[in-house]
Amino acid sequence: MSVGALVLGAMFAVLAALAAARRDDTLRRGMERAAEQFAKLVPRMLCALIAAGFVAQLIPSAFIARFLGADAGLTAILVAAGAGMIVPAGPVIAFSIAAVFARSGASVPALIAFITAWTLFAAHRIFIYEIPLLGLSFLRLRALSVVVLPLLAGLIATAAGWLATGVAAP
Amino acid sequence: MPFGSRSWWAGLLRDGFGVGFWGFAAFAVLSGLACYLVLGPEAFGVALDDDLDLLLGTVPRIVAALAVAGLVWAMLPRDRLTRLIGRHSGLRGLAIATAAGIVTPGGPTSAFALLAVIGGGGADRGALVAYITGWSMLGVQRLIVWDVPFMGVEFSATRFVVSLPLPIIAGLIARALPLRLTLAAPTGPEAGSR
Repeated sequence: MSVGALVLGAMFAVLAALAAARRDDTLRRGMERAAEQFAKLVPRMLCALIAAGFVAQLIPSAFIARFLGADAGLTAILVAAGAGMIVPAGPVIAFSIAAVFARSGASVPALIAFITAWTLFAAHRIFIYEIPLLGLSFLRLRALSVVVLPLLAGLIATAAGWLATGVAAP
Repeated sequence: MPFGSRSWWAGLLRDGFGVGFWGFAAFAVLSGLACYLVLGPEAFGVALDDDLDLLLGTVPRIVAALAVAGLVWAMLPRDRLTRLIGRHSGLRGLAIATAAGIVTPGGPTSAFALLAVIGGGGADRGALVAYITGWSMLGVQRLIVWDVPFMGVEFSATRFVVSLPLPIIAGLIARALPLRLTLAAPTGPEAGSR
């Protein structure tokens, strides 16, 4: 059992007790909604998880790593952000790829841009959760709102690096 | 559709195995085929093995997360939520939504299920975007379980600090964008009342 599962289990126990104490149909309505969302999510999720594993194998991470060095500056941040957007899988795979990048000399801002882009656009999450639960119009709004964030994160990290080392901008 | 009735179960089946499901199934088969042809049977086997492990670990957590989100949805005080993170909640609403996203435990199931809950409960679009962005980029659980072991404390702390203002910026952009937002209608008998 992971910590997350324990926390969720405890939250469920507390909420279920509170709902039952109301002595109306709160508990039943809550469980009903959970069952409906389960039906919507789980069959798709099984397929998507399997697909994500295959696609992750197909991403050429060693090739991409060549473009992420500190001397590449803004280009590195842009390439890293683009790479992060196409990783369609969970943290195991995303962080393994980040580790490959780090070993081959990727700069800190590029790594931050990569991880940020992955957290925001992980395709499996969009298809498994966001579209079924919120809908396409929310996805469109969110994607347009956050698309600049990986770039901003990389740029802020670059600026922070300059401040920390006391070196003037090149 | 009353809970537990035959039509309710039929509705569940329709939701679960509709067009979306078959699209996903086709995609899984195609990507598997590509993996097998491009990288060979060994890489195919490794990917499939990892996938099955992941599935077994994920399903119990999803049950727990959806049960929690369902109860939160049934018990949520809607008017108070609207005051906290509704349309007129300003920067403070976006900051509250970001903070809530950062501390939301569990994986995407709980975060997106709660997002649907607060979306139906009167949160405005900026707060919705700030919440899910805060959870995605800065969620403490992922930071502790994944960022720190893989990337080290110093890198993770840098990333956290650098990213802290960004969900609020995303929320401001979301409020400013001239797009129509229609949230996916929840299934079931409550659909009309929200």
